[in-house]
Amino acid sequence: MMPPANVEGGSLLPQDPDSPKDLLQNGAKEQVVPAPCDNTMASEGNVKGTNGTQQKAKPAKGSNDGKLSGKELKDKAKAEKAARRAQQKGGQPGQQGQPVVDLGPEMQKHSDLKGPSVTGATSAQKFQHKRTGSASGGFQKPIPFRPAQAHAAPFPEEPKRENKNVALFDHLYGNPRRTTLAGASKDVHPAVLALGLQMRNYVICGSSARCVATMLAFKRVIEAYVTPPQNSLPRHLTTHLSSQIEYLVSCRPLSISMGNAIRWLKVKISEVDVSTEESAAKTDLCNAIDNFITEKITVADQVIEKEGSIRYEMATKFKVIVVDSRPLFEGKNLARALADLGIEVQYSLTHGISHVIKDATKVFLGAHAMMSNGRLYSRVGTALVAMTAREADVPVIVCCESIKYTERVALDSFVHNEVAPPEELLIQGETSSPLLKWLDVPNLQLLNLMYDLTPAEYITMVIDESGYLPPSSVPFMQRLSVNS
Amino acid sequence: MPHSLGVTFPGFQAIILCGPGVSLNTFTANPEDFPKALVPIANRPMVWYPLDWCYRMGITNIHLVTPPASAFAITTALAQNPHLTSLTLPKPDVLSPDDLSQNTPTAEIFRHPEVQAVITGDFIVLPCDLVCELPGEALVEAWMIHQGGLGGASHDSDDYKGSNMGLGGENGGRRGGLGVWFETKGEDSTKGTETDFVITTSLPQPAAAPSEGSLRSHISKVLYSTTTDTLRDIMEEKKGFLIRHGLIRKHGRIRMLTTHRDAHIYLFPYWVLQMIKQNEYFDSISEDVVGWWAKAGWQDGLAEKLQLGKIFDPTSTSERNGGENGSHGSNNVEDDIDIASMSSTYTSALCSSTKSDPAKIKPTKSPAPSIPPMLSYIHPTGPSTPLIRRVDNSHLLLQTSLYLATLPPTTDPPADSTPSPFSHKEKISSTLIAEKTNIHAPTTLIAPNTTIATHAVIKSSVIGANCVIEAGVRLTGCLIMDGVTIGEKSVLQGCIIGRRAVVSRECNLRECEVQEGFKIEEGREAKGEKFMVFEGLEEVGVDDEDGGVDGEDGMADHEA
Repeated sequence: MMPPANVEGGSLLPQDPDSPKDLLQNGAKEQVVPAPCDNTMASEGNVKGTNGTQQKAKPAKGSNDGKLSGKELKDKAKAEKAARRAQQKGGQPGQQGQPVVDLGPEMQKHSDLKGPSVTGATSAQKFQHKRTGSASGGFQKPIPFRPAQAHAAPFPEEPKRENKNVALFDHLYGNPRRTTLAGASKDVHPAVLALGLQMRNYVICGSSARCVATMLAFKRVIEAYVTPPQNSLPRHLTTHLSSQIEYLVSCRPLSISMGNAIRWLKVKISEVDVSTEESAAKTDLCNAIDNFITEKITVADQVIEKEGSIRYEMATKFKVIVVDSRPLFEGKNLARALADLGIEVQYSLTHGISHVIKDATKVFLGAHAMMSNGRLYSRVGTALVAMTAREADVPVIVCCESIKYTERVALDSFVHNEVAPPEELLIQGETSSPLLKWLDVPNLQLLNLMYDLTPAEYITMVIDESGYLPPSSVPFMQRLSVNS
Repeated sequence: MPHSLGVTFPGFQAIILCGPGVSLNTFTANPEDFPKALVPIANRPMVWYPLDWCYRMGITNIHLVTPPASAFAITTALAQNPHLTSLTLPKPDVLSPDDLSQNTPTAEIFRHPEVQAVITGDFIVLPCDLVCELPGEALVEAWMIHQGGLGGASHDSDDYKGSNMGLGGENGGRRGGLGVWFETKGEDSTKGTETDFVITTSLPQPAAAPSEGSLRSHISKVLYSTTTDTLRDIMEEKKGFLIRHGLIRKHGRIRMLTTHRDAHIYLFPYWVLQMIKQNEYFDSISEDVVGWWAKAGWQDGLAEKLQLGKIFDPTSTSERNGGENGSHGSNNVEDDIDIASMSSTYTSALCSSTKSDPAKIKPTKSPAPSIPPMLSYIHPTGPSTPLIRRVDNSHLLLQTSLYLATLPPTTDPPADSTPSPFSHKEKISSTLIAEKTNIHAPTTLIAPNTTIATHAVIKSSVIGANCVIEAGVRLTGCLIMDGVTIGEKSVLQGCIIGRRAVVSRECNLRECEVQEGFKIEEGREAKGEKFMVFEGLEEVGVDDEDGGVDGEDGMADHEA
């Protein structure tokens, strides 16, 4: 980009893209076609730009002035073009300076309307004559020039409307997350309203917590639900739930576990016999939700804990290294909780992973979801930890309830992911951060991805409530848990 | 202005307390006929403002609590007043327990069985003199994020009374309350405004920065709350304000605010009602309920004294739940789930599942429930911040009325302005205005059926319905209530004229208050007086009025 300080050069620049064509036109048809008034600036610029070259090529040109053969014309055009290109490309001050210098007096002449240029060659004189004609027809000539400048002036303001989405992830952005209750559907239950806001603000965060909270909130919805007349509960309750889900999605995309749980609940609702009394049906559904939570999360967690835990009561002395990342710093809470238990804890951020991995004997990973190709979908940075661990020959163990298994297949973190508002990357309470005005910085985009994908080959073992599995068994377990 | 009911139901019910108006005694001398709740602010009855506020945020379950003496007047007004009838349905219910007097303390109102019966879930307590431009939704949002029960532990429904303390909500120390405090000092401050004393501390930083426009950055935790008057008493008695070590030990960084006023907007979860019930000695909500609750958060042993343990105790509540919603049976499942602990943004309280080494494990104190915090929203001051005001003295009444009169109308608003929720449809709706009058439209509000004769000059004033303004009257910065007659060539400045009062010709009044139905004789000149029937003309609250004069002058300049 041309520095804007060089006004003349800068004003020339926007017209450059057209110039080769104009140049050809002017060169070939020289005196025949006067440039139309609007275009004058462009052609003028070109002429001036070429002036330098013309003068250099003068000896050849001057001799057979006016009677140029077709070939010569072509050659001339080519030469001009080449010179022009060299000018454009080079951008060196010397080369660039010349046309600018030329431009200066020429410009003045035109604006002063002093008539034909004296310095020009005869052909150029004729040319100029014609052009002064067009110039006199264009007292307004500076006017098209000014808008061009005026157009250049607001250019720096444009980045305000600049698309701040990272193009590669454009498909993930969707609608901006809801921040207020305004516009929520009337049907949305207050418990769900609160839940949505809590999830939006990461008060409830983590796949299992969100799943349980959603199911409990839906229990409230079902408790408060009254089938409207001329409707049956199995049919209407599903649509009623849909409006709640729609609201939740507008706050933050559903987690895989929530999706699984909701699918299960919808099946349960559709299985309700139409002839069942409403209160009985509601009680049944609520009990089913309770059982679901107990079975899929509470008990599953306990089982996984048992299977995976290096027993606390065992005399083995061990240390926990918590590897954490921005912006949520969820690891801090884990570290604090473990420290409260009296366990020795070391805390590190992801960038320290290659250092702390030397001390590690096992790597435990949490999961947002397990894909059907055995890949782990988890908080961004997980893949890095797994990869480093693999490198260091440390076994990588994923702890994951089977509610988080999905039949989906993912090959990379690009196609399926969640983009959080980029503002969350800014450090809170900091007033002097250079990122603070990132929206005004042109061509700067922030990307706040929530998840990444860890390839199956980096995972040694998955622990779920049914036992230890290799990652390749995930699809089987997934089918099993769906069918059960 | 009927508002569309397309708003979501936020899970609260509203209780509006319609008290006496001690500081507005010039206009509320007769509470049977004209209680404080009906005193007009910018031509609308006072109670319209909190009602409208509720409807705008989607609350339709509203109860007006008032002494029986005023009940009839309020009921009638609800049925007849054009502003109150234009509010959306359903209509608010008027609740007037028999033994409620004008001076019943606010907390005692909530101990009354009739009021208790009405409250079925989380509730918002509002005063009737509240003018609040801040949308209630924003407060509810902040409450939901900070204190809403997790996993649907909050709110009311027929089966679930929001009292299940065993739920994740209360386990995580959630489901507290939220109050609103606003700054009274500032460019438009008036002397003699009541203030409250509040000590707050900031909340831990949230996991992610709050979104733009959220109130969350102004939310803090209340540690101590009382009125500034009480503070002054304490200071006099003890020659200083003593702070307990317990407070400093728990909260190193505190903020003390002495010029803020409690807006008396409280978002309370249901259990607060039980706390009020359990503690007979609670008098007022702002001082006792909020004050004791806030203190219980840091003062050891106070929670037991307030019998909070009884309220939060899971065993007693599960019994109650068994009785109340036995149909849903297994609530116990929920009791085991602590969503806060599951959430990755919380520090979960881990306890070892195996008790093999009790020496290592800290003995867990089972009966000490964490006290849900009382939060405060400290309304920031600034030129563009929404107005929050409690109109409980005549200066504020005048000032607020005149401010509201400057709002652009909703029909044909000036291009550069957006109508506020308090905008009137038309600013000058009277058609009986003679020619050659000089009315400054942008700052004046005139209700229908008011006659204005020629050569009247009216500037930044509010004039009620059915008034007669005779020829040559000059009104500047005045609040004229309904049915007032102002005689020829009278000059009124900064006056409040009560309903159906008569100001005879050629009077010259400045900063006066005229009681309703009072007649001022011809040619009377007065400054800063209160014209009342009972107290007599000469008895004037000089101290108050002198203070007020400055304020009014400032106001008048400002308006001009």
